[in-house]
Amino acid sequence: MQMAIEISVPKLGLTMEDATLVCWKSAAGEMVKREQIVLVLETDKVTFEMPSPGDGLLHPVAAAGSRIEVSEVVGYLAVDKAELAKLAARHPAAETSAPAAAGKTPAGTTAAAVEPPAAPATAGGRAKASPVARVMAQAHGVDLSLIAGSGPGGRVVRADILKAIEKGAPARAVPAPAAAAGELLSAIQEIPIAGVRKVIFKNMHLSLATQAQLTLHTEASAAAMIQLRSRLNAAGAKVSYNALLVKVIAQALKQHPLVNAGVEGEVIKVWRQVHVGVAMDLGRGLIVPKVRNVDSKSIREISADIDRLAEAAKAGSLALDDLTFGTFTLTNLGAWDIDDFTPIVNHPESAILGVGRIVEKPVARDGQVVIEPRLALSLSFDHRIIDGAPGAAFLKTIKDMIEEPALML
Amino acid sequence: MSDRIMSASAALAEALHEEMARDETIFILGEDLTAHAGIFGQFKGIPEKFPGRILDTPISEACIAGCGVGSALTGMRPIVDFHFSDFVTCGMDEFCNQAAKIRYMFGGQVKLPMVVWCPDGAGLRAAAQHSQSLEAWFVHTPGLKVVVPSEPADVKGLMKAAIRDDDPVMFFQHKRLFRREGHVPADPEFIIPLGRAAVKRAGKDVSLLTYGSGFFLCMEAAGELAREGIEAEVVDLRTLKPLDMETVAASVKKTFRAVIVHEACLTGGFGAELAARIQAELFDHLDAPVLRVAAKDVPIPFSPPMEDFVLPKAADVIQAVKTVCYR
Repeated sequence: MQMAIEISVPKLGLTMEDATLVCWKSAAGEMVKREQIVLVLETDKVTFEMPSPGDGLLHPVAAAGSRIEVSEVVGYLAVDKAELAKLAARHPAAETSAPAAAGKTPAGTTAAAVEPPAAPATAGGRAKASPVARVMAQAHGVDLSLIAGSGPGGRVVRADILKAIEKGAPARAVPAPAAAAGELLSAIQEIPIAGVRKVIFKNMHLSLATQAQLTLHTEASAAAMIQLRSRLNAAGAKVSYNALLVKVIAQALKQHPLVNAGVEGEVIKVWRQVHVGVAMDLGRGLIVPKVRNVDSKSIREISADIDRLAEAAKAGSLALDDLTFGTFTLTNLGAWDIDDFTPIVNHPESAILGVGRIVEKPVARDGQVVIEPRLALSLSFDHRIIDGAPGAAFLKTIKDMIEEPALML
Repeated sequence: MSDRIMSASAALAEALHEEMARDETIFILGEDLTAHAGIFGQFKGIPEKFPGRILDTPISEACIAGCGVGSALTGMRPIVDFHFSDFVTCGMDEFCNQAAKIRYMFGGQVKLPMVVWCPDGAGLRAAAQHSQSLEAWFVHTPGLKVVVPSEPADVKGLMKAAIRDDDPVMFFQHKRLFRREGHVPADPEFIIPLGRAAVKRAGKDVSLLTYGSGFFLCMEAAGELAREGIEAEVVDLRTLKPLDMETVAASVKKTFRAVIVHEACLTGGFGAELAARIQAELFDHLDAPVLRVAAKDVPIPFSPPMEDFVLPKAADVIQAVKTVCYR
């Protein structure tokens, strides 16, 4: 009978199948309390700090850097030292990247089945790797000594390199060489395309490579929206422009359902649900969390959702389900004084609304020049499935609703 | 041309009939050929159709081999039937010291178009002196070509190529495969050039490099492995010398792993030679050590359970594949 508590990888989202164990937050043999962050997981979309499922002495069995399937056991929490020793005998320990506990790691933990990335078999020597793994590591600038080999005796094999490349390899620190005399072009830094950057890299290219994208520009008077926002703010919690814009999008999509669509194989699917992603960059790269079912939410509900998602994004605690299955995206560059731009559709969606700054401009009205707050709108869409006229009509509806919010009713 | 289903024996007989009809310098000599059309019935119809061109000899392998060498040197194209490949030891000087070297020693002034037909292999409860797979001995002898077909079509296409070749060819055909049937093209000019391997099952996870009876073990193993999600590529080498290293290299570069399978015993077998070449020429493409699956290093036992124990099985191939695939 085993009394120990198993630590396993939770399913963080509907589509999640596995994750990378980035690191352990406690050393082997260390006492861990319930709810204390015990390890860090990373999927291709989020990083998740996992709280401990209970109290106990930590016995990690999966090495930092390894790929773990959902519900796979990565470690145990022992009730006491005797049980820890028993666990160590039964399950070879993996080293943690955290510093060793002040006491002493229990006997048995040295017999690691998997070479730990922090202290691999290379100490002073050469990493064990298959020939093809060695060639691939060289070609991709992957440092073999930082990879936990899955082969016999910790041998790094081809699959390990592929995984490392996929998740963003622990790239070899490339010393920036001084520009040689006469060299016309030299890099001062080499940044591996990995992690979130890799996802963005692939998705952006996929979007433009698969769709026929077209961008339409127009401008709206922002006066009514400014007024609406100040009235709402006076009456309760603060509402952001993005919340108002998401509401506008939701209402406009009701009139133009074909814009809320995607292509799957040879079929255009017009989605029942309206999930609007709001593009954010909070210092960790571009992410687009989704506001769910906006068509049935009030402005205040939408605003609260966006605030919650932004907080989670800042804390790095977004769930995978917050990032998948969008049907339309809003991207707002107003904060950077941008007017018109050409947003790239967030594949596999089919349309994205780019919003610029609100700026006062002289406008001719009824033969008079008046000063008015104006807002630039840019709609990019997949011309394969949305023709120019319906796309323009959708943008016109957006513009009309911004200028006359009563049209949303 | 449409394909027919026929046995390896029938495919061999057809190759002989076609070639003997085409070229009257071709003749067959060996023991007990005319009365029973060969001890495996492989020469069916030939004594009647080509009288005088299939000759019974005394029971003297040195004599049979020597006649072959002499007649080849003087303009004939002999096919020497050696009954059991195990008996080559009695013709070793003629094959390895004479046939293999004469063309070289005469500076290319003579040629030696002889086929030595050697039924080999175990599994027939024929005991240690009638069950061996000896191809590696001849691969080790410069001047000889070595062919080991598996399927009936290969038997036919390679026998025709061997007969038309101007150098001595050791042609090993597994006794247990004589009755095995397969598709054989009807085209009388269907010839498989010596030195050309065939990828008979495509796969991306491991290369099974094999020949002769090993081919069928590999196909069985590949079928099992596919159910477990491992796609094995089966390369039938067909000719061991000259060796089609190009096809081997293309396969290993694709799969990064190689397992060599043959029925001959392990130590000093052809697998050792091939493994050495793979590591030398394809080192940077390997993701695992090259493994060999072969018979155990003992004389083939007469006892059926012991014989089965000594010979390689599909399960051994599967085990080796899992090892190199880190599964």
